[in-house]
Amino acid sequence: MATTDETSQPGGAAASATATNTAAIATHGDNGDQQMAVFRLIARLADNKYWLGRRYAEWCSSAPTLESSVAAAAMAQDELGHARALYPLLRQLAPKAGIAVGPEIEPETRTKFTALAALAADFTDWPDFVAANVLIDGALTQVFQAAQSSSFEPLAARSRKVLQEERTHTLHGQGWLRRLGREAGPVRATTEAALRHILPETLCWFGPTGAASEQDALAAASVLDATPDALRSRFLATIGPVFTAAGLDLPIRQRGDSWQLAEPLPWDRWDAEAYRLG
Amino acid sequence: MSKRGEQPIKQSSGKSRTVHTAPASHTHARLMPDRVWLVLARRTYDEPLRQIGTVEADDSDLAGVYATSIYDEFAWIEMAVIPREALVTVIHA
Repeated sequence: MATTDETSQPGGAAASATATNTAAIATHGDNGDQQMAVFRLIARLADNKYWLGRRYAEWCSSAPTLESSVAAAAMAQDELGHARALYPLLRQLAPKAGIAVGPEIEPETRTKFTALAALAADFTDWPDFVAANVLIDGALTQVFQAAQSSSFEPLAARSRKVLQEERTHTLHGQGWLRRLGREAGPVRATTEAALRHILPETLCWFGPTGAASEQDALAAASVLDATPDALRSRFLATIGPVFTAAGLDLPIRQRGDSWQLAEPLPWDRWDAEAYRLG
Repeated sequence: MSKRGEQPIKQSSGKSRTVHTAPASHTHARLMPDRVWLVLARRTYDEPLRQIGTVEADDSDLAGVYATSIYDEFAWIEMAVIPREALVTVIHA
């Protein structure tokens, strides 16, 4: 990401601007729980961006073609840049969230990441890369779209910048999905398996089901413009047509105007604290 | 035997270190793109589009992604990709 000095310099201009803007969400109810919800949102966005960037980077010399290797390197740079722009917000949010400022909120010394389990291991094959590109990168983008007019202005500003750069990531993921979908035999089967492997966790990642707007701290404070269920629906409506067009068999079905998952999500394995499947 | 994705590298001192790389994919050989795209760009409004290189890609979306990530040495004001087979040669070299 071509970050500006304002967003990339911890303790610089961004820090003072962020300190001012942290007060923005206070107008929607200044309490520790809400500040904690925002802190955790920023942490999981940053951590997943960071680990996605790390995984992308591992393929910058191993992708199927020279072109896709260079694209993987560029996408890794983007993701790590997005993480770098988000981490300084944790330092600003920590005091109001009741979290001690220390090594665990600094990107260089952080050890307790809230990243998806799917990013804990290396991608074993190119279809794993493409699946993460379409699903995990896509889910992150869905949240940034919901934060473009966030009441937490530092997140809104970063979201608009992130979304500009994510356009090429979306084109890359969907282009490769079409390519892999045209293949028969093991390539196609491997691709469907890779997608099926991370689809449930990605859908759980939007947050707990059944919460109304006023019950969801982030939607209630207008930090995001939708509840977890609404974000999940938007995401399914985004990826459902892509899978169908690619001819891939995933458990997502169109019902009327909406796209729905045809299988129950594994909430019994969902770790709400670590925000990942256990 | 190395773990998957790790390659032992022999250093000049004779010691080995391990670097991480993604494994070579068994799917790669099947996935080579079959179209070449010409990449055209310009840096200023008063210059015409000129060819700056080529990329291999299966469709125009991927060709665009590859072109912008590979040919990013300048802040282009315009970039375009066209399939090489669309070029009609009128004077043969």
